[in-house]
Amino acid sequence: MPVASTLVEKILAPRSRGPVVPGSRYHAVEVDLVLAHDATFTLGIERIERLGLPILTPEKLLFAADHFAPPSSPERAAILGRYVTFLGERALPRDQLFRGISHQLAVEDPRVRPGRVVVGADSHTTMVGALGCFATGFGTTDILGVLATGTAFLEIPPSIELILRGVLPTGIEGKDLALAMLAALGEDGALGHALELHDHTGGSIDFDARCAITNQAVEAGATSAAFVPDAVTAGILHLRDGGAPPDLDRWAPDAGANYARSLVIDVASLPPLVARPGSPADVVPVDAVAGEPIHQAFVGSCAGGRLTELEAAASILRGRRVAPGVRLVVTPASEQVWRAASRSGALGTLSEAGALVTNPSCGACGGIDKGLLAAGELCISTSNRNGPGRMGHRDGRIMLASAATVAASALTGRVTDPRTLARSQLASWDVPR
Amino acid sequence: MTCPSPPSPSEQRLLCGRALVLGDHVNADLLHPPAFFSLDVTRLRAGFLAGLGRETDASSDGTTWIVVAGRNFGCGSSRETTVDALRRGGVVAVVAPSFGRIFRRTAAALGVPCFVSQGSLAEVLPDEELVLDAALACLVAGGGARRIALEAPDPFLEAVHAAGGLLEWLGHRRS
Repeated sequence: MPVASTLVEKILAPRSRGPVVPGSRYHAVEVDLVLAHDATFTLGIERIERLGLPILTPEKLLFAADHFAPPSSPERAAILGRYVTFLGERALPRDQLFRGISHQLAVEDPRVRPGRVVVGADSHTTMVGALGCFATGFGTTDILGVLATGTAFLEIPPSIELILRGVLPTGIEGKDLALAMLAALGEDGALGHALELHDHTGGSIDFDARCAITNQAVEAGATSAAFVPDAVTAGILHLRDGGAPPDLDRWAPDAGANYARSLVIDVASLPPLVARPGSPADVVPVDAVAGEPIHQAFVGSCAGGRLTELEAAASILRGRRVAPGVRLVVTPASEQVWRAASRSGALGTLSEAGALVTNPSCGACGGIDKGLLAAGELCISTSNRNGPGRMGHRDGRIMLASAATVAASALTGRVTDPRTLARSQLASWDVPR
Repeated sequence: MTCPSPPSPSEQRLLCGRALVLGDHVNADLLHPPAFFSLDVTRLRAGFLAGLGRETDASSDGTTWIVVAGRNFGCGSSRETTVDALRRGGVVAVVAPSFGRIFRRTAAALGVPCFVSQGSLAEVLPDEELVLDAALACLVAGGGARRIALEAPDPFLEAVHAAGGLLEWLGHRRS
């Protein structure tokens, strides 16, 4: 009788070449796609050259320029230049440079489909699991190992089942769900595990929301996070590729599959949430911190810079103006997102409201540029981390929240529950799904 | 227990250092803030523990450190500069109840072993001299008065450490 398998077991078992060394928990797993970007990959170039390391064929590579894009200092220009030059010298693909954040580009790439194994030189590579993949991040040296061998050395993680049920209320975003997940798991509640997410909400959690959730799973320590492929997955594949594989059901976990733990989140009762400065798992309803003055509002990053988030912010700010003195920074996650938001009118609306709209990149998240904090400043942000020093000075503070909450806060200059605006000021508030 | 400093090649499984005691969930941004990301070694070293307000720690005087930390050490960013800065700052090993997955792998890949503690680390005092016996999977504190059991490392990570890092291990395997 066949063994009942989880989604992760179905993906990894056929690709494992067995333990890396006898007796090890680590298996050599064949990889379909490797993601890299200007910041972390450049740390490995000297070793590639000195040791003569081989590099996988271009069909399995996606190189982005997202961190220092464009560079904010001469040193970072030099790092970026080294990267771009190296790729050119080795005839490695440069067609995706400056087009967005590496893992956002991956979910836009037809090579990434359910059941694939994707690794990236960035911790938020987990996001790619929104498409039903096994996707995980590594440091530079491990990525050099993958490029040289075509395999990742992985502990095959046991899975945690996370069931989302109820119907998502209007105005509650993927970010609120991600924060609810982090509140339930804590900063290490998924350490050493893969998360498998089951959407039982009747399709109310769209693909952008799924990306926000799988992105932030690494903040609970998860090795990977994947939505079990379903009608939403088929829908996004149709939109992207003009069709979806007919056998998506094959990735459904078997009845009786062995999960280390099972959690249920009822999404119907979720209010807008905020992670207070210091920890992404220190989550409270926005009401608990409402009224605190902000200095910056940020809609962007791989966690919260997609079309759904940009349109949510635009719907709050349409015909209005950001509070005097507050800077609202908007950084789309990719060129594709930027163009879609331009076509939909969201970028124009945000610009008219006083937003500082930047090119697709990581931007302020990661303390890179285009929106860093001084000591004592408070930023409310759709990005993914809020520890000291993440976005500039270590005494700058970051709250994580949905795009609607960020936009409402930018409008009033204080942390604001978007539902209060909807009632008193914005009768037509209608956040698209 | 005595310990040569620095360990000779034949004694590499005996690691010595002063205790650098840190708490739970100390993430990569705290260990090495993103502002210090650089290919320049001087700039890299300047960020050693800067997010924790420990800029004044002796990170360039030859002192070796064994980090003794709380849960989920090194969680967060995959920036390898975090581990590189620790290594260049004199950190020779890390002991904690659990580690961020990427941190632990990167540390192994760069030749800084991470050990999972089995006993309580609460009695390790800041700055006290420690000896880590990798062969016996034991951390010795208080001049031998306190011994804390460590999990035996996975054979893969052990092989990587013995080779001096992941690329070195791959090189040996290829040859």
